[in-house]
Amino acid sequence: MIVMAACGHGDRLTVVLAVLPSELPAYRAVVSDWERTSGREVVLVAQQYADIRRALQAEAAAGSGTIDLVELDVYSLAPAGAAVRILDPGPDLVDALDPTAVRAGTIDGLRFLPHRLLWQALVYDADVLAKPPATWDELRAVARAHPGRIGLKGARYEGLTCDVLPFVWAAGGSGDVLDDAGARAAFQLFADLAPSLHPESATFKEATIAEAMARGELVLQLNWPSVMSLYAAQGLAPGRLRSAPLPAGPAGRATVLGGGYLAIPRNAPHADDAAALVRYLLGHDAQTRLAHDLGWFSARRDVPIGDDPLLAGFVAMRDVVRPRPERADYPALSRAWQDAVRAIAFDGAQPDQVVQERR
Amino acid sequence: MNAAALPLVAYLVLFLVYPTIYAVRLAFTDEATGAFPSLDAFHVLATDGLFWRALMNNALLPPLIVGLEIVSGLALALLLSARLPARRWLRAAIIVPFALPEIVFLAIARHVLAPRGCLNAALAGVGIEPTAWLAPGRATAFAAVVIVDAWHTTPIVFLMLLAALAAMPADVGEAARLDGAGGLRRFAFVTLPLLAPTLAAAVLLRGVDALRLFATPLVLTGAEGVPVLSTYAYQQWSDQGSESGAAAAGLVLALLCVVASVPMLRRREIAQ
Repeated sequence: MIVMAACGHGDRLTVVLAVLPSELPAYRAVVSDWERTSGREVVLVAQQYADIRRALQAEAAAGSGTIDLVELDVYSLAPAGAAVRILDPGPDLVDALDPTAVRAGTIDGLRFLPHRLLWQALVYDADVLAKPPATWDELRAVARAHPGRIGLKGARYEGLTCDVLPFVWAAGGSGDVLDDAGARAAFQLFADLAPSLHPESATFKEATIAEAMARGELVLQLNWPSVMSLYAAQGLAPGRLRSAPLPAGPAGRATVLGGGYLAIPRNAPHADDAAALVRYLLGHDAQTRLAHDLGWFSARRDVPIGDDPLLAGFVAMRDVVRPRPERADYPALSRAWQDAVRAIAFDGAQPDQVVQERR
Repeated sequence: MNAAALPLVAYLVLFLVYPTIYAVRLAFTDEATGAFPSLDAFHVLATDGLFWRALMNNALLPPLIVGLEIVSGLALALLLSARLPARRWLRAAIIVPFALPEIVFLAIARHVLAPRGCLNAALAGVGIEPTAWLAPGRATAFAAVVIVDAWHTTPIVFLMLLAALAAMPADVGEAARLDGAGGLRRFAFVTLPLLAPTLAAAVLLRGVDALRLFATPLVLTGAEGVPVLSTYAYQQWSDQGSESGAAAAGLVLALLCVVASVPMLRRREIAQ
């Protein structure tokens, strides 16, 4: 579908992004300004990350392409590295961006630049909890007081890893191994929380956990900023449902980096124009407009992320955002985290036993 | 070859032969190295407990679902073939679950069965403690998939049997009645034998279709609650990013469907 959309556009730039249909008009308006100044026309194709990844790989394998610029999720950067070009956006742009986010896009050279960032925070039911848990001990106390009402995105997928790593890091773990002190402390926390998890936690993903909380079945969960927009549209936030920083562990707080990165495919037909468009999209003016109009979190340190009370918990986590381990075998490592936590949280395995088995 | 057959051949090559060859090749490709042929994807399946649960559920769920559909479809068809008041309205009401878009029907079912859903609210009204009907690992989740899927597709069986009952010669039943056969004996020795070909067709058609069960377990319980091979393939593709794993699981499911289709093909041969 992406390739078909790109066909027949000749001199026009084809940009494939994972924007929502509702976001497209505002994004189109930002791109239109660049079209006016550059004299180039841009075709925007909105697709899901998985489809963008497949289209990119297909064009890389074919040795020719129609796509000039893609947006990929942070999880898929490493496998896509060989299919995109090394970027040279200039030191002024790189220096303006969050170094953690830039590091996550550096895979055998700077190939991906952060288009927008995401990270998780705590979402809690303020009608039930007078204040959100600020520490692990308070989290344990909340769990004991509300059995069956603690949410975990426990399906076997990347979202579970995103729920686990912040706790590992908050206990001083690296996230690279399952048997350091931080991993053990996090495993013990999940063992303590296990009896209080919602009975459907083993199958929860972003959408289903959000639904359960909207029905009043959960007192807290971890989720991405988009869930707050959903709750606001349902009239549930920021009144009953609010965001808060994740509880602090023995080594402080941490949360996991997500978001979209821009890259120029190896076979892009208009690579120079695409590079100019990247500079424009990541510039101060465009990023400020995207932050204002779409509520996106910018990777530019000179673009404020706003003071919307809806996202207060997310804003408070900005300085403790960390990328997932940057290594070629990350998918296998992520799967190991998922299996370990599922064994502890849903199968009653002891943390020590899980650590021993995965050594 | 007849030139008129060319469009059909082109269609089959483009939409059946090529995708099938591509899927088989994908299933036998090592995702990490790109090596072909490789049994790596099947090795991953064989060592994955979720795959074996999916395979077992794929063996258990279709007979239970189809059995329930046949019993309920037959009962409803017998009831509504009688001259009841407002039977047209009742027939229409029975078809409603099948007429609804599947995702709408399943989303409603999920909200009914949620911990704070309508069913638990009704039970609480009579003093019964709420139950996590859809919690993974519980028999209630398995039963919910059987009942909801059967409820959704019973109208197909109902319509088939209703049509067969309408086409049944009335004088055969009347003759049995005059010979002194009671209602139960007429059903067992007249109606049921006459319905047998339609029942067999319904069992075979719905049985093969039920093997491809997908949306009901996925929407009600997620990919891991009550897994079947199609949801397992989806989980491999979507959650694990493994196209080879998804193709391998799809291939296993396709083989199961082919094996299950053999009785239907034999039946056609007998008829010919």
